[in-house]
Amino acid sequence: MKQASTPLPFAPVAWTITAFVVAALPHLLAMPPLLGAVVVLLCGWRLLAAGKGWRPPPGWLRLLLTVGAIALLAVGFGGLWGRRAATGLLCLMLAAKMLELYRLRDLRMVASVSLFLIATQFLFDERLVYLAYLFGGVLITIGALLRIQLLELGQAVPRSGHLRIIRDAALMLLTALPVALILFVTFPRLAEPLWGLPDEVMDAKTGLSDSMSPGSIADLYIDDSAAFRAEFDGTPPPPERRYWRGPVLWHFDGDTWERAFLASRTPAAKVPPGPDDFLYTVQLEPHERRWLFALDYPVTTPDEAHISLDFQVTRRDPVTTLTEYRMRSNPGFTDMPQLPETLRRLALSLPEDRNPRTREMARQLRERFEDDRALIDHVLDWLREEPFYYSLQTAPLGRHGADEFLFDLRTGYCEYYASAFAVLMRAAGIPTRVVTGYQGGYWQEGGQYLLVRQSDAHAWVELWLAGSGWTRVDPTAAVSPARIQSGARVATGDATGLDWLRSLQYRYDRLQHLWNAWVLGFDADRQQSMMRFLGLPRLSSTGMALLMVSLLGLTILVLAWAWLKRPAGSRDPVQRAWIRLMRRMGRRGLGPVLGETPLAWAERVAPELAEGEKLHELTERYCRIRYGDCDDAGLREHFIEQSRKLSTDRVEPRRMASV
Amino acid sequence: MNNQSPARSGSLLADDLARARSTVNDIIVDKEAVVDLAFSALLAGGHLLIEDLPGVGKTTLAHALSIAVGGNWQRIQFTSDMLPADILGVSIFRREDEQFEFRPGPIFANVVLADEINRATPRTQSALLEAMAEGQATVDGHTHRLPQPFYVIATQNPLDLTGTYPLPDSQLDRFLLRTRIGYPSAAEERRLLTEPDRRDLLRDMESVLDPARVLELIELAAGLHVSEPILDYIQALVAATRTHPAVKSGLSPRAALALTQTSRAHALIMQQDFCLPDNVRTVFPALAGHRLQPTAESHMDGDAVAAEILESTPVP
Repeated sequence: MKQASTPLPFAPVAWTITAFVVAALPHLLAMPPLLGAVVVLLCGWRLLAAGKGWRPPPGWLRLLLTVGAIALLAVGFGGLWGRRAATGLLCLMLAAKMLELYRLRDLRMVASVSLFLIATQFLFDERLVYLAYLFGGVLITIGALLRIQLLELGQAVPRSGHLRIIRDAALMLLTALPVALILFVTFPRLAEPLWGLPDEVMDAKTGLSDSMSPGSIADLYIDDSAAFRAEFDGTPPPPERRYWRGPVLWHFDGDTWERAFLASRTPAAKVPPGPDDFLYTVQLEPHERRWLFALDYPVTTPDEAHISLDFQVTRRDPVTTLTEYRMRSNPGFTDMPQLPETLRRLALSLPEDRNPRTREMARQLRERFEDDRALIDHVLDWLREEPFYYSLQTAPLGRHGADEFLFDLRTGYCEYYASAFAVLMRAAGIPTRVVTGYQGGYWQEGGQYLLVRQSDAHAWVELWLAGSGWTRVDPTAAVSPARIQSGARVATGDATGLDWLRSLQYRYDRLQHLWNAWVLGFDADRQQSMMRFLGLPRLSSTGMALLMVSLLGLTILVLAWAWLKRPAGSRDPVQRAWIRLMRRMGRRGLGPVLGETPLAWAERVAPELAEGEKLHELTERYCRIRYGDCDDAGLREHFIEQSRKLSTDRVEPRRMASV
Repeated sequence: MNNQSPARSGSLLADDLARARSTVNDIIVDKEAVVDLAFSALLAGGHLLIEDLPGVGKTTLAHALSIAVGGNWQRIQFTSDMLPADILGVSIFRREDEQFEFRPGPIFANVVLADEINRATPRTQSALLEAMAEGQATVDGHTHRLPQPFYVIATQNPLDLTGTYPLPDSQLDRFLLRTRIGYPSAAEERRLLTEPDRRDLLRDMESVLDPARVLELIELAAGLHVSEPILDYIQALVAATRTHPAVKSGLSPRAALALTQTSRAHALIMQQDFCLPDNVRTVFPALAGHRLQPTAESHMDGDAVAAEILESTPVP
């Protein structure tokens, strides 16, 4: 292998490594810490080597290190497949490249692949903030490429070099923006995605899971990120009716509630449209599960989704990207006026050896109340009157969870209440199932949509009552009505302070909403409706591609024209400084007229200026630099500095001689 | 610069040039611009055409210039009956040694004042113009080189239309610059009236330069630095003449080259080390005015077109 005779200078290497580290950072944070440390160490070593002019390590060592790191990665991710492992591998290979970063070509390769690396983060995270990060990273990477080019051309770096490079890179990025925009808007969208994202939940940012045990969704309560957003045709439902149905749980083994195979595989009854239906569009953030959320009871299903017997809306594929779907819900529907025997058995089963005190209480209640409704009302009153508290600070429950909670602990949140209440009801012989989902949401006046966050996760209970079918009963509402009206944060007293921060968050979420709607959700339909809005006919994919190509060609022509027509000499800093001075003078009405030479202009204008003498001097210097045979860098710098300092103030108006 | 002496001799030469200029300005009062143009034409290796009324000092200017420049000078008063031989000279058969002997005409001088050139017949005019262009005179098949430097100051009287043969457009191109002198200001005219006669002053005037040094100055001017922006400017001006609606045809590439050379010469006269857009602007009307022939329907003459182009072309 041939080694470059001269080591690369420090600055381009530092630029390249910075670009790489910025691109890799989001991936590093998601990697096993050891691998992140390896990447950082390799980059740090290369920086030091560039500073001190160290020799590269021998080939066998490089090979060993690389193979070792890949082995680590394979162990850390349990294989080399999947999005995380693949991007991790890319990070690692680039970091290994640090060991042989000794030619211009290597630098360029690392910088170019960093561009790809930073874009791969969109496989994991489509949030708006990441876009800002992406722009920053791309800016630095283009800067690195520019710096490498300077090195290649052997050009001296100007004194304000780094800023200048960043500015040039920003300009290039800005120039590319219209092209990107055209590509985005006109690129033919397929109704079906070109490839499916891998069915992988390894790093899923999960919302609800398909099982529930008291304490399992505690970490959701402190998560303020959006679960989904809903836009309503007409007025949104009031807070107490905003129950967004998620997984419905039937099986209870004493600790955990789980879904039932039978219920989730059987199709639901047909819900007829009603007079008070809610029509709404949901933008669901990716949660790596198959279910969608809807209000009770869904009349229509989105494409590719089906509704199970217990009115869970599920899709065939997990929701791995932002998904938008339209729903219609009829709140007045009666679910299952007749309960089949299999379901009744399912909805009454309880492990025999658990919660004896609860069973005893149920037995006593059953003796007192013949009527199911009276029994339920009594229990709810009991919950209300006894010292039960709504709080996120709870203790873990033991073997007899419902007993411990109902008679000893009496402090908890929705899961605790739902689970214990359901156990009590089943023990009392009322068919019961637990429903998890989201409840409430923040109505964004500014954006006209309902923002439902992870912290709005909720669990409640449905009881089957003769005559009214499955009926929602929320024991949490009995204990803490504030939870239902205003959300968990208010209910736990956590809402005080930092109101401005909160309102900032809501503002940001509105932006995110627009981003979701117009960028992430920009599908074939949106594209066509935008075309319609622009007055263009409905275009086929080919037509769209033609439109794209012609718009691109036009843009490139315009950019080329602007580039060719840019003011001559404007690449020269002296000339730019002079043009700036002219503009400043022009604003004072002292600019040069067409065809006026610099000297003639100075001659004309100087008498009107407070610093006329300086102007003469400056103009004389400018002529020397621009027209003369002078290549004195000092003189040029001095001129630029002086031209900035020159004041454009006019002379004091001459006082009238007093007579 | 690795050798010091050319620079020093250059600056000495420049001093001489400045003195020559000031001596001429002492004689021709209030006409610095015209004097500078006259020197520019000289140092760019061209010839000067002065178009003005009789009595404004054309002859005095030419005379003063010729003295300042040194070398010999001749004056030719053109008339309608003049023949080429009257300018170029004749070959006379000498009986003694049975050979033709060339008697050089008045054109064999360093500075030639060709007065009222448009009164001569075209044939005579072209003899002069050809000599100006070639730097040599051909008489009876023998070519005689003209002295160097060779500088013609021609005058023509625009008002005196009767009995004149106007110079053809193509021939006007032989003159590098054309200018007018114009009337002096009142104060300067008063000086003319009160001070001794200019002809007496001319008699007392001493040469500052000599032909050898003038040639050195011409060489110096040709080597003066012209930067890219100035060349851009020159090209922009020339291009503007070619698209201007009021002229038949724009400036030729030769004229563009002449503009560059004259600007250099003017810069040297202004004691600059490099050419400024100001130099180009100053010489442009004199250079372009007579070369731009207005179209039949336009009301502008060449000078007006040149002025308009100067006002509408940005200075790079």
